[in-house]
Amino acid sequence: MSIDSGVLPGKSSRLDGLLDWMQMLSGAGLILFMWAHMLLVASVIVSPDWMNAIAHFFEATGMAQVGGPLIFLLFLTHFFLAARKLPFRLEGQKTIWSHAKMMRHGDTWLWIVQAVSAMIILLMGSIHMWVVLTDLPITAAKSAARIQGGFWFVFYMILLPLTELHVGIGFYRIGVKWGFITDDRRGMFKKRENFLTLAFIVIGFAALLRFMFLSIAQ
Amino acid sequence: MSRLLKFNIFRYNPQDEASVPHMDEFVLEETDAMTLFIALNRIREEQDASLQFDFCCRAGICGACGMVINGRPGLACHTKTRDLPGEITLLPLPVFKLVGDLSVDTGTWFREMYNKTESWIHTNKVFDENALEERMDNDVAESIYELDRCIECGCCVSACGTARIREDFMGAVALNRIGRFLIDPRDQRTERDYYEIIGNDMGIFGCMGLLACEDVCPKHLPLQNQLGFLRRKMGITAIKTLFKG
Ligand code: HEM
Ligand code: SF4
Ligand code: SF4
Ligand code: FES
Repeated sequence: MSIDSGVLPGKSSRLDGLLDWMQMLSGAGLILFMWAHMLLVASVIVSPDWMNAIAHFFEATGMAQVGGPLIFLLFLTHFFLAARKLPFRLEGQKTIWSHAKMMRHGDTWLWIVQAVSAMIILLMGSIHMWVVLTDLPITAAKSAARIQGGFWFVFYMILLPLTELHVGIGFYRIGVKWGFITDDRRGMFKKRENFLTLAFIVIGFAALLRFMFLSIAQ
Repeated sequence: MSRLLKFNIFRYNPQDEASVPHMDEFVLEETDAMTLFIALNRIREEQDASLQFDFCCRAGICGACGMVINGRPGLACHTKTRDLPGEITLLPLPVFKLVGDLSVDTGTWFREMYNKTESWIHTNKVFDENALEERMDNDVAESIYELDRCIECGCCVSACGTARIREDFMGAVALNRIGRFLIDPRDQRTERDYYEIIGNDMGIFGCMGLLACEDVCPKHLPLQNQLGFLRRKMGITAIKTLFKG
């Protein structure tokens, strides 16, 4: 409150508009990827053979070898673009935290969940991608062996809900920011999105349990 | 029997060197149809004549009485105590310069907002006071009026997380103002001109879509829809300029 005004002379920037497009498109690309990713992982619930077949398809077509690193690149791009909006200084973090506590406003809290989950996903998502992509081919047996070790089970139990939350909130956010969701449909969309997020967490959790109790000899 | 209301009110007088920011407690008996406007005036009359707060129209028209009411920015004159719990906490609107206690200077901020958005009709037509007024389509007139209802209370700015962490962010009210001129056929500014003003991270691309502005606006302006409309419009303008160079 030391300043007289918050509106300072601005400068036009073609770049800001393009960066905003790229932030949205990188986010949307990752959402699509996560949905496809869920199909692959969840297929193990039906049968490990299905999962092996899908994984084999990705490898035979070279999509895992090339697409994997590309997704990693998209992931980093998205991080650099979205992080422009985050307060990296303690002062800003304190301000937004006390603001959220003062307002008790759902959508403001959602933003904080998105920002915090982002930092954890950056770290854990990178580790996850590294471990999987340096140990191709993907097979249900290898995944099961990792998860039955215990460490990776706990690791995924943290990464899974955080990613699904981040993706779910991001999906809603793109909708309202770009005006695809209008005010009259906001409540309904939010409800559906919450349901979808919960469903994805449950399916992901079921897949983890399936891995946990898969007999590896198979 | 009527309730005894407990008020926790922020106190600080920046003019007085001895003053330190603190909260003061006041207790007041609730009366029929009591608004915060009535309550604050009674506190000032009966308990503490030094309490500072702003009012003018006491009817939700002038926008002077914006304050943070139990955590949410809102108009004091528009808020009935019967809609609030027995304990009421009042803070001055953040972002704006504090005058004292609950009173803030929104005027300077809004003055700069007008300058920044050039909040007037830009036209090279010369005004002829003898000619009949130009006709406007009723739908257009109504949609302009809908956006013109803003009373400049500043609640949307104080509620905005982006405005709190970025002091150069223009806020929903300024973006809405641009939206208002953008649909006005009398204003000859082009999309490129508007892009010069809001096509950046201080403007529409800085908005993170937290929608607190939409949720607190006491006049229920369609801020969410406006912000979405402007982001698409300005996003498309950015791409068009990319190809036109
Ligand atoms: C590298 C780790 C990540 C970081 C640091 C990160 C950071 C962020 C931040 C801070 C936002 C909010 C930006 C804003 O409100 O303007 C955001 C939005 C978003 N994130 Fe992430 N994120 C990460 C990973 C992911 C992943 C893995 C996905 C999807 C699988 C994803 C999907 C999205 C989407 C869809 C949005 C909304 C985009 C928008 O509002 O334009 N993010 N991310
Ligand atoms: S848009 Fe609404 S909240 Fe913002 S200044 Fe105008 S009336 Fe107040
Ligand atoms: S939608 Fe945009 S302008 Fe409104 S409160 Fe959120 S960040 Fe601020
Ligand atoms: S006193 Fe004018 S809006 Fe409240």
